[in-house]
Order: sequence, then structure tokens, then C-alpha cells
Amino acid sequence: MEHLTAETFDQNARRALSDPVLHGALRHLADNFAERRKVAMGSVDDWEGLREKARAIKQETLLHLDKYLLQFVEKAEKAGVKFHWARDGREACQIVLDLVNERGAKIVVKSKSMATEEIHLNDALEENGIEPVETDLGEWIIQLAGETPSHIVVPAIHKTKAQIADLFVEKVGIDKTGDVDVLTKTARRILRKRFAEAQVGISGVNFGVAETGTILILENEGNIRLTTGLPKTHIAVMGIEKIIPKFADLDVFLKLLPRSGTGQRLTAYQSFITGVKKNADDEGPNEIHIVLMDNGRSRMLAHPVTRQSLACIRCGACLNACPVYQQIGGHAYGSVYPGPIGAVITPQLVGLSKAKQLPYASSLCGACREVCPVKIDIPELLLHLRAEITDGTAGGAAANPERKRKFAESLAFRMYGFAWSGQLSYGLGIKAARIMQKLIVRDGKIGKASGFLAKLLPPLGAWTAWRDAPAVAPKSFREEWRKTLRSNGGN
Amino acid sequence: MAETSSTISATQNGSAREAILASIRRSLATSEPFDAAWSEHHGHAAISAPVVDPVFSRDKLIENFRNNLELLGAQFALVSSETAASEHVNAVIDKLGAKRIAISDSALVKRLVDESAIEFVENAPASFLFDCDLGVTSAQWAIAETGTLVLESEKESHRLTSLIPPVHLCVLTASNVRQTMGEILELAGKDLSKTMTFITGASRTSDIELTLAIGVHGPGELHVIVIADQ
Repeated sequence: MEHLTAETFDQNARRALSDPVLHGALRHLADNFAERRKVAMGSVDDWEGLREKARAIKQETLLHLDKYLLQFVEKAEKAGVKFHWARDGREACQIVLDLVNERGAKIVVKSKSMATEEIHLNDALEENGIEPVETDLGEWIIQLAGETPSHIVVPAIHKTKAQIADLFVEKVGIDKTGDVDVLTKTARRILRKRFAEAQVGISGVNFGVAETGTILILENEGNIRLTTGLPKTHIAVMGIEKIIPKFADLDVFLKLLPRSGTGQRLTAYQSFITGVKKNADDEGPNEIHIVLMDNGRSRMLAHPVTRQSLACIRCGACLNACPVYQQIGGHAYGSVYPGPIGAVITPQLVGLSKAKQLPYASSLCGACREVCPVKIDIPELLLHLRAEITDGTAGGAAANPERKRKFAESLAFRMYGFAWSGQLSYGLGIKAARIMQKLIVRDGKIGKASGFLAKLLPPLGAWTAWRDAPAVAPKSFREEWRKTLRSNGGN
Repeated sequence: MAETSSTISATQNGSAREAILASIRRSLATSEPFDAAWSEHHGHAAISAPVVDPVFSRDKLIENFRNNLELLGAQFALVSSETAASEHVNAVIDKLGAKRIAISDSALVKRLVDESAIEFVENAPASFLFDCDLGVTSAQWAIAETGTLVLESEKESHRLTSLIPPVHLCVLTASNVRQTMGEILELAGKDLSKTMTFITGASRTSDIELTLAIGVHGPGELHVIVIADQ
């Protein structure tokens, strides 16, 4: 399967729009999730108050991230956890690889983790002869298909039941079935064998509590409990932004995350892990390693607008609410993190020059901001990144070949701003427009601009490619009003 | 392969740690001049006073717990004594036709199972659990408002017994049921077990076309027996 990149978002999106199978798969998304979320929200008394609390907790943590990180590490180390710091994805992969190799493991079981997707850990393991087995049903499906997740919470949302059934027939040799229960039981049967033979389990982390050194991981299937409970070694990969200060803060996030993510009051299982077991005979792994990963995150702290990106708790609500995501799905974004939050995180992780189209992958309707449980102002972030692109501050002016065109655009906007700033200039501007537009107006509207005109005014060309632009009216409302007053003999 | 790879050494780990912390501090310092103006511009709402949860009577609490469990598809029974609980455990075993049964090391559970009638394996290894019909455990707490069982690993050995068999039967006393998650986080947070597990209903997934399927990796059936205060 070909992996799309963020650099070709426009083409990816166009292709996705004309893919009827994809639309068939995505049709469940909007109604299903939105409805469930609304019902679940209704079961807390003060949803807005909770969101505000969560935002404030995240803001406080991020403003003192060094302090809280060190507190978290100190507490967990005391409880027997080993820490490994990774500046980037390459370093994180190497750390995991070394840990796995030192234990002589050839098979590792994995639970769903966006952090490990972000650093392409599976590729790194496979290249070194280690078999990573994804155990979350959705992740396992896309691993069988050789694809990447298209949604933060429901990785295989882009696949229809029929496609999944065909995949199972081909890869695991069952008879074709349309029964979701049969497909699920098949996964259970096959993956149990893998759990039994794996020496190392790799998971992500939802929250790390500074006060106690606890990591919390949420799930519905039970594969995280197996991954963190059965193998002798547990490795957790976490971004440095997952920290929250106090254990009691979890109350807020445990109310917000499941409701926002899947519309549940609580997911089926939460695992709170505070260090390694005390006695060798106790249940659980003999050792726990946490890989703390920066990979571009600390840079995002450098401005209050971009810092918001680090408050994200990966619930996926903004994807489900986004009219763009609903139409094109996750792969078109060409990045591990799709949807509105992906459009702001990806350019910051990989560099604006490699994901220049993503901040424009939004109509700025604000649905993402409305649903975000931690009140991230995603439209503000999108505009902030767009401004960086236009200013050419992204990677320096020299790195931005679009600078020239952007200059023309900013000149046009300055003229536009001048024209609208005073009554006289506005009146003159409108009069001039009425004369000039005679060249292009047909039947009172501006149709598809082509050739010379589209070249001269690229925005007009792009706008009229799909719809008409309205013409300036022969008389303005104010002119009509004055005329009516006069003819009625009013004063 | 160990010969060719650059193993991350302790010094490298230390320098990565210092580099990350330095980068965090540098970024926060860069951000400082913008922070005040941005906060003002955003004018965030004051955090409202905490919602005071109503105090429920014990009966109301148990009823609430039952309703929320049943909404999740779990089987609930309120019994008046350990003898009645024992009978109920046997009834569940009969109904399932369970032959291979794993139990945790909970004293309560051991009192309830009739070891003369059927063989139970206590603290079974994973290899036994994979072929079990039923796992029986207790729970340290329950949360009524969400229908949640709370398992603390240092009070009982029940991580795998509650997870691997296809059916999980959990017995607890009514005095351990609380209304809110906040209460439990406060209670358990004072003396955290190495692993604490919240269980809310059976294992589930919606990964295929958002269609609900039960029992993907954990138990597909959950039975809860609450023993009323004596």
C-alpha cells in the first residue's frame, strides 16, 4: 500500500472525495459518534466547567513542564520504573530496539499507541528481525492490510466490514462472513497465541501523574491489560506532554476523555500502573521501562498559541466533528495524526515546509474547537500556522519558494484594506469595480474564470472553478435607500 | 545485530535528558513575553465551584450501581448473606456448565466456592487461564455512578483471573460501594497498589464499522454479586 504524504494533501483529498468505498466506510462516523457523545455529555452536570478545569490543568502543567516531568520521573523511579529519554523518534526507536534485543525477544505484543505510530516503531523493529504484533482489533486489521491508521481512536474506520472480511479470508484463512462477532472472535483466538508467546509488551500512555509516578492507560478491549500484564517486560512509550500534576486530576480527564472519544461514560478498562511489583511471585511484569520522548514537542512550548497543541489528549472528537475529515477520512492528511488536530500538530512535528497544505485543510468552521474537551483553539492554531507560512517565517524566507506569490497576495490585501477603511475610498472602489466587472459579468454573476483572467487573479480562478461569484450590484443599498426617500417625498 | 547497533548508553541517556529539559526551559522563556497578552485575549471563564454530589442512602447507592451495570449488559445479584452468595456462585457455574474454574486468592472468594463439588485453581498460571471457563475474584471497591469494579493488585491477586477467562464473576460487599469516581480516586490514591484496574462492563470493541462486539480480548460476560451488610 502506498503511503500518502502531507505534501500532496490537495491531490490526496481530491482522490478521497471520489472514492465511494471510503465514503461507505465513513458514513457511520458523523451520526454514530456525534449522537453518542451528546448523550454521554448529558450525564455530567457541568460539562463546560469540566472542560475549563481540564484546560487550566494542562496549561499549568505545560508552563512548568520541566518541574512536573522531573517529579513524575522521581516518583516512578522510586517505584522501580526505569526511564529512557529520547530527543527524537530515531532515538526512541533505538532505545526500544536495544531493550528488546537485550532480552532476546523475537516477538513483541503491542497495544494501540499513537506515539509509536508517530516514530514508526514497527518498521524499526521489523527491519531488525523482530515481529511486532498489534493487538488492538483495529490496529491488527490495518497491520494485516499493511496500512496505517486513519483515525486516532478507530484506526480502521476507513475500511468496510466487507473489506475486513475479505482480508481475514486472505490472511488468516477463515470462511467469508459478514458477522462482526465472528470476525472479532477470530482475532481473539489468533492473538491469544501471540500474547502467550511474547516476552515483551509495548504500550502507550494516556496520562502520567507527577504526584504519584502513575501511568494511566484507557481501553475497551482488554489487550492493554494483557500487554502490560502478561509479558515479563513492559515498555511504555510516552510523549513528554502526557503529564498531569495530581492523582485527583484524573477525575476530570476520566470524565472527559471517554465521553469525547467514544461517547462512553467510561471505557471498559483503565490500568493505573504505579511501579513494578514488589514480590517476584506477584502478577505482572518483572520490569517496566518508560521511554520519554520529545520529538519536536518542547519546541511547541515556545508560544502560547502553539503550546495548546500539547494539551491534546488524543480523543479524536475533532476528527469526528470535522466536515473535512468526514468527507476525506484520515489517510489524505498524509500524516500519523489526521483531522483538525493533525493539521496543527503535523506541521509542527515534521516542519511547516513539509506539510504546508495542512493548515489550509480546514474551512475554519470551528466545530473542532466546540467539541475539544481541553478547549484547544484549533482555528487559532491553524491561522497562526498560516501566518507563519505567509510571512515566510517557517524555515526562513529562503526556504519558502512561495514568497513571491505571497507578496502579491499581501499587496492585494493591503489595497483591499485601504479601500474599506474610509467612506470615500470605499465609494470610489465600488464605482471602479462596477465599471471593470462589465468585462466578466454574465447574467449578473461571474462564472468560471479562465485563461488570462484566472492567471491575473488566481483567487478568482480558484473560487469560480466550482461556483459563481456574485457581481457588484448596479446600485448599493444606501443609494437605493436615498432614492426611495426622495421619491416618497421624505426629508 | 547487537554488534552493529549503537546501544544507547547511560551517558547518552543522561545527555538526552539534559537536552530535553534545556529545550523545554528555553521554549518556556521564549514564550514568556507573549503569555500575558494571550491569556488576556483569551479571557478564560472562571472555574465554577465543584458540583456537590448528592449523598445517597446505601440502598439507593446499590440500586444505582445495579442500574449502571445492567445498562452495560452485566448480570447483577444482591444477596443477603455469604451463604446466599455461595448458592448464587454455584448457580452461575451450573448455568455456564463451567468445568475449569480459576479463583483469586481472596479469602471471601475461597469461603464462597464449594471445593468439594468442583475443582478450583487458585492463582492459576496464564497457561491454565487460557483454557478456563470462568474466573472468580473479589473487588476492593465499586463505583455506582459508572457501574465500575475497582481491583487493587496488592490486596488480591486478580489481574489475570479477572481478564483471561471468557466469564468473570466478581463478589464484593455492599460497604465497599461508593457513589463517585472522585471518592474512589481519593481513597485509593492514598495507598496506591502497583496496579489498579477499573472494570466497567465486559470487554468490547467497535473497531469494525463502529458495530459493537463483546468479548474481544477480555471476558465477554460479567457477573457481579453484592453481599448486603449483615
